[in-house]
Amino acid sequence: MTVQYSHLDHLEAEAIHIFREAAAQFRKPVLLYSIGKDSTVLLHLARKAFWPQKLPFPLLHINTTWKFKDMIAFRDKTARDLGLDLIVHVNEDGLRRGINPFDYAPSVYTDLMKTQPLKEALDKHGFDAAFGGARRDEEGSRAKERVFSFRSPGHRWDPRRQRPEMWELLNGRLGVGETVRVFPLSNWTERDVWRYIAREGLEVVPLYFAARRRTVTRGGQLLVLDDDRMPLQPGETPQMKQVRFRTLGCWPLTAAVLSSATDIEGVVAETLGAQTSERQGRLIDHDQSGAMERKKQEGYF
Amino acid sequence: MTALTAIRRAEAAPQAAQDLNGILHLLTCGSVDDGKSTLIGRLLWDATDLYEDQREALKRSGRTAGGSAHPDFSLLVDGLVAEREQGITIDIAWRYFDTESRRFVIIDSPGHEQYTRNMASGASHADVAIMLVDARHGVKRQTRRHAAILDIVGVKRVILAVNKMDLVDWSQERFRAIEADFRELTLRFGFREAIAIPVSAVNGDNVARRSEVMPWYAGPSLLEHLERLPPRDSTPAGPFRMPVQMVLRDGLDFRGLAGTVSSGCVCVGDRVTDALSGQSAHVLRIVTMGRDLEFASQGQAVALQLDADLDVARGAVLSALESPPTIATHLEARLIWLWETPFDPRAGYLLRTATDLTPISALTIKSLLDLETLAAQPAEACTVNDIALAGITLGRPVAIDPFGANPATGSFLIVDAATGASVAGGTISAAMSASETSAASAYRLTREMLEKGLCRDLGSSEEDRREFQRRASEAALLLHAAGVPVKLEL
Repeated sequence: MTVQYSHLDHLEAEAIHIFREAAAQFRKPVLLYSIGKDSTVLLHLARKAFWPQKLPFPLLHINTTWKFKDMIAFRDKTARDLGLDLIVHVNEDGLRRGINPFDYAPSVYTDLMKTQPLKEALDKHGFDAAFGGARRDEEGSRAKERVFSFRSPGHRWDPRRQRPEMWELLNGRLGVGETVRVFPLSNWTERDVWRYIAREGLEVVPLYFAARRRTVTRGGQLLVLDDDRMPLQPGETPQMKQVRFRTLGCWPLTAAVLSSATDIEGVVAETLGAQTSERQGRLIDHDQSGAMERKKQEGYF
Repeated sequence: MTALTAIRRAEAAPQAAQDLNGILHLLTCGSVDDGKSTLIGRLLWDATDLYEDQREALKRSGRTAGGSAHPDFSLLVDGLVAEREQGITIDIAWRYFDTESRRFVIIDSPGHEQYTRNMASGASHADVAIMLVDARHGVKRQTRRHAAILDIVGVKRVILAVNKMDLVDWSQERFRAIEADFRELTLRFGFREAIAIPVSAVNGDNVARRSEVMPWYAGPSLLEHLERLPPRDSTPAGPFRMPVQMVLRDGLDFRGLAGTVSSGCVCVGDRVTDALSGQSAHVLRIVTMGRDLEFASQGQAVALQLDADLDVARGAVLSALESPPTIATHLEARLIWLWETPFDPRAGYLLRTATDLTPISALTIKSLLDLETLAAQPAEACTVNDIALAGITLGRPVAIDPFGANPATGSFLIVDAATGASVAGGTISAAMSASETSAASAYRLTREMLEKGLCRDLGSSEEDRREFQRRASEAALLLHAAGVPVKLEL
């Protein structure tokens, strides 16, 4: 019997295998849910891995309070429709101090409103493993990530102390104080994510599809104004433009692209012919050379 | 964008919306300065779908390779800041690219000898390996080391890319001499296919296109050769194996054994067995979300519902009734020491097989592979990057296969019980059952003894049984650490 499996079938099976290995070996895992397309695929694969059983772990969303309104609505609807156990964590202290993406450098803002609360939430609930949707094709330092990425106490990532991974064997035995980040989508590309969303008919945040939105152009990047919290600079006048997002994060830090792709087929076609890599639209990564690697060492995904 | 890329992208567009036909995992390895990163960068640059911002960044980088007019292609691959600063590749990096019909996964492995373990772990994921040598230097000690590692971890196809042909005036004589050395080397190992290709990564000769300056070479370019290789899992061979990862439940009626079929295939109605307990049952349903399957084959992640409620949990290997794995307590293995901390005969180690974790009651190094002569030298110690022949005695039996017959259930990691580190990775050469080995001298730690004392607070729930196993393993490890060989009889 010869059966031809496509590369998506292979990637799906691999991700399911990883989910099961982690769930079987770690005491208290959690799925880091960031609402975007990668999280959508991650959640779908998690459901497949344990079906018909209910997900054996909760979802955790780190809310910076600067997410698009559509993202929050999508998050709550998803959790409700699928009956998921969703934990939302905010850096209340940062919120009180008024930390925002305009008055603080992107790296400072990201550290205070994303990385610190992430570590805080993992510690507070005692999670020893966190699933994330990071892919090796996203960025240079991620290209070297393990599937089971170990973090020393304090959630620090030391690229030189990572365990070698061989064959399909995933060793989840933790040393004292260690935790682990698990990346089931390690071997997926952006194109795979979209092809899979199309194939499985998954719902995603409408911001991924082109629509006329209120935008300003700043520093060569196209920003969508999701509310009135962003102070406009002299000469900036909001303009309605047909745009969509390739990646979703905090709205003042996420650039849109001009696009006419209003449905999934359009997005798949656009992604397959894309001329720039997706993290181009993430302003926090351009902050300094080696930005992602530094953020990872400090505990970011 | 090069003209070639434009054509490829245009051709790919209508078809690429569908799934690609399989994945080929490609390892690149070589000594320092052989130009691995440049070769991969060149492949990405010429053959594929590199994004425009990545091309621009490369052109902007202002660095050129070897004083030539080309961009420094290696910058596409060297990801970590430390590596960019030192100009070396310290860890394996994963790269993905698609041609019209196929996904390629490039696993770029480090050249430095001190990072050989990273190379070994990268190689274990590969279907084919490109070994790079510098045409000026030919086959070296490191080439032999890499060939030995590729052989151990099960890579069956190797390509010798003789790079920097431009620096030896495209000499056929030089290439043929290196090719002959390579043939002699590969004949010592179990490779299915070994070919040599003369290339110049910097100039792109025989990388994605045939070279015009080496008319004496009639073979394929590197990319042509790669596109012809068969993808993984295209023919599920071997007897059925499914290591059980976990038990899934839904209400009182559903109990599914979840796992990935690691070899062969299984159909609804087949009789499967758990060789460890000797129990067997028929497959009632093959469950995935959304729909049940009639059969599942190698590489598929499923849950099997059986017609009898077998007492089977994580660690069991379901198999075809007529060709079960060996239930072994003694293993002969080849291993690569992966960790900075050397082998310590008194430390507690665990054996991580497909889904099982078993206490090791004795690990003995018998010999180390001498990489100059490729001969085995008797030895007792073993440290990072060493390749050893070892004997492993287990605290309780495991279901296992010889690696040559069944790679997924014939490979293992050795785990340090205290730190959790994966200290070695290896493959089974021979597996022997308890009756074939003498365990008469070992201390017998039985279920009855544990029930009376250490585990008397435990009941029969699944959680308690797992805890029982855990305590038993820990007790065996402690005894072992005190120098007492232990045999667990649970």
